[in-house]
Amino acid sequence: MGYFGKVLSGFGSLLTGMRITFSQFAKTFFGRKNVTLQYPKEQPKLAPAFRSAIKLIRFEETGTHDCVACKACERICPSYCIKLSGGKVEGIKKKRVAEFEMDFSLCSLCGLCIDACPTDTLEYSKVYEEAGYNRDWRVDLVAEFREYEAEFVEKQRVIEEKAATAKKAKAEAAKKAKEAKKAKEAEKAKEAEAEAADTAEKPDTAEKPPALEAKPAKADAPAKAEVPTAEVPTAEAPKS
Amino acid sequence: MPETLSQLLDDSVLAMPIAAGLIMGALTINVLMLVWAERKVSAWIQRRMGPTEVGPFGLLQTLADMLKLISKQLITPSNVDKPLFHLAPLLAFAPVIAAVALMPFSKSLILVQNDFGLLFVFAFGGIAVIAIFMAGWGSNNKYALLGAIRSVAQSISYEIPLILSALSVVLVVNAMGFTLASGGSIVVANGLDLSHIVMAQDQHGLWFVLVQPIAAIIYFISALAETNRAPFDIPEAESELVAGFHTEYSGMRFSMFFFAEYTNMLIVSMLAVVLFFGGWDGPVLPGPLWFFLKSYMVIFVMMWVRWTFPRLRFDQLMTFCWKVMIPLSILNLLATAFVVAVL
Repeated sequence: MGYFGKVLSGFGSLLTGMRITFSQFAKTFFGRKNVTLQYPKEQPKLAPAFRSAIKLIRFEETGTHDCVACKACERICPSYCIKLSGGKVEGIKKKRVAEFEMDFSLCSLCGLCIDACPTDTLEYSKVYEEAGYNRDWRVDLVAEFREYEAEFVEKQRVIEEKAATAKKAKAEAAKKAKEAKKAKEAEKAKEAEAEAADTAEKPDTAEKPPALEAKPAKADAPAKAEVPTAEVPTAEAPKS
Repeated sequence: MPETLSQLLDDSVLAMPIAAGLIMGALTINVLMLVWAERKVSAWIQRRMGPTEVGPFGLLQTLADMLKLISKQLITPSNVDKPLFHLAPLLAFAPVIAAVALMPFSKSLILVQNDFGLLFVFAFGGIAVIAIFMAGWGSNNKYALLGAIRSVAQSISYEIPLILSALSVVLVVNAMGFTLASGGSIVVANGLDLSHIVMAQDQHGLWFVLVQPIAAIIYFISALAETNRAPFDIPEAESELVAGFHTEYSGMRFSMFFFAEYTNMLIVSMLAVVLFFGGWDGPVLPGPLWFFLKSYMVIFVMMWVRWTFPRLRFDQLMTFCWKVMIPLSILNLLATAFVVAVL
């Protein structure tokens, strides 16, 4: 390639460069497709697997978290960034967390706490605007749930009582059924002894006693537990 | 008591400051818009948005920047050569205004009619080199001095192809003997008169970019180097020399260099339009509008070039000038002279 050939090919490569920059210019100017995210005005779309500080999940059915203060997360955390306290709550059997302090400045986002949680009430949050004025990032994760706690405890108490009542009723019913069975067997034995006696009475005696005796058992349950009382006989009927 | 504007302008005492004020105002607005445009063009080339916050489309961003610069303290370092240090920004600033006054915006709108306009524009361009060297030398700073030395070497080298390419246009205008009707009498076109160059193109409907394509390209490349624009911005070279010759300048003194740089862009673009793109010649729209439209198109190309190519190394810069630009422009001039002589 001679002198003029070099000059020409050099000029050609300059034009190639200019063509590339102009195509980018046209994409932004005419196509209005720029790559800028106007950050405070526009928010970034976070990836589904985005990991940030852990948080307690709010379950829809209870309206609050399900942390039972078992401390599995506190024990498994390799960075010692979780400190929680809690336990027995007055009125209910279920244990509840009182304080769940998490220090994000120590957290390595390994996710072991999330795996360890027996009630599956921990997950990664999507917070990312976490600039602060000091090195601490200690947050009480339960704080946002406090106002619902009393309500939850009340609900839980009702549920537990219901469950207890149901259990009691069930146990009683089972007892009655056993007695009835025994009686039936005794009756059968009697029947076997006296075959010629009344055979038409048999179905009546088999079904009536348990249904009648289930009611007195529910009478000592509180007024709130009315719905289950209606249900109990029907639930028990097939069993007996 | 003057009653009309024209009467006011006829008053020779007032005419000068008024004209100077008009040019200053127009040039200030031009610089503000050019800096905004530069930022927008660079942003769009890089798929960004550019200034958007101050004013519509960020148009007032540079105004805010200028207000900031005006309000800043003027720092004079202790070991500078004070007369040179203080004079340099003014000397960089003054000739660009003088050069703009020579431009023929239309057939009638010429602020200063001069038979040797082209020569004057190049002469004023030469003063800018002295200003830059004064700034670099007076600053008593190694980066400033290096930037100034580079700038002087570059400007002196690239002035040769710049003037040689312009000269081939002058040759065409002179030798082909265009006659122009001017003020009732017929005059022979003078190739050094800027308005005559435009009129010669206007008369034949033929822009000189088609007659002298090589000269046009050489002129454009040399003009980039003359105005210290990328890829020839080694006098400033912010990644090598901090800021080059204006390292020690702050506030308004710095912005005067800035002002000179952007106005220089306008001047070389206007001169390119005069020499190669038919000046005010164009359909429908009035002459001055065409003139500015073309000038800003040339400036857009300059910005486009700036955001495309990387900066040249100093030896590459000199090699390119002395081994490519100057031989080509001399060949072009000789070829033009030959063709003109034969015809």
